Amino acid sequence: MVRSLSQTTAATFEDLALLFPDADLTPEQDAMPLDVTVSVDFRGPLTGRLVLRASECVMPAIASNMLGEDESKQVPLQRDALGELANVICGNVLPNIGGAEAVFHLAAPRVHSLGETLSRDEDAPKARATFGVEAGRVEAQLFVFGESDAFAHVAASGA
Amino acid sequence: MAFNVLVVDDSAVMRQMVVRTLKMSGLPLGTVLEAGNGEEGLFVLQDQWVDLLLLDINMPVMNGEEMLRRIRANPETEQLPVIVVSTEGSETRLAFLHELGASIVHKPFAPETLRDNILRVTGVTDVEYYGSVPVPDDGGDF
Repeated sequence: MVRSLSQTTAATFEDLALLFPDADLTPEQDAMPLDVTVSVDFRGPLTGRLVLRASECVMPAIASNMLGEDESKQVPLQRDALGELANVICGNVLPNIGGAEAVFHLAAPRVHSLGETLSRDEDAPKARATFGVEAGRVEAQLFVFGESDAFAHVAASGA
Repeated sequence: MAFNVLVVDDSAVMRQMVVRTLKMSGLPLGTVLEAGNGEEGLFVLQDQWVDLLLLDINMPVMNGEEMLRRIRANPETEQLPVIVVSTEGSETRLAFLHELGASIVHKPFAPETLRDNILRVTGVTDVEYYGSVPVPDDGGDF
């Protein structure tokens, strides 16, 4: 699951945002805070949330490459662009963990304010992938809620 | 002939990316219309002549699957060329969309992939910017 999340996150940034994430972060990238958070909730055979966080300094490049130079300085559009990346990552990871036949429903991406709790207290991410991008970093986390029965079934099926 | 195109996606960012690709595709464009969900898209189709629909699946209010089902049930729009542009990975759902005559472009997409699908579905072979694009004589997806 970690490999799927990692590969999908990297591919999505490359194809959609024309940025090239590097799994080997420089100390400078590693020290950059993750200022911006978006999430996509999903339900189906598994229920959960894909959370995508990014350093503020990465946001203009994401918006510029996805939308054009004119829009790259508009903060709401920068957030929306990150949300769309989260949406695409989520949509592409789920068939890998839920199986090719599984039908998932994805909610619209949400932008979170700093410090907002993103998961229920008892939940830890099932997978996490961090990359250096430009002068900052991005991190994708996959949470699966109430997974005991459904996840055991999916895992047993080899998905 | 200029093509009127309707782009239905709940993400304004994705609509903008799709419209940018449309403008680079070489397709002779008429009006480019946008809608944020399937219900809004159906309202647009009631009022405007549309030659090509680019449709997302996961949307609030009315998803793309339901919108496509209603389009095919309406004699006025049953032949409308539709390209689904979505992250959808479920083979069950994709098979159903194919049955409804939709071509599929998977997100994330390279602009060339979307452009080639648009040109194939519309049958445009002589484009200004990219030159002639081969159109396979396989009956397409319709």
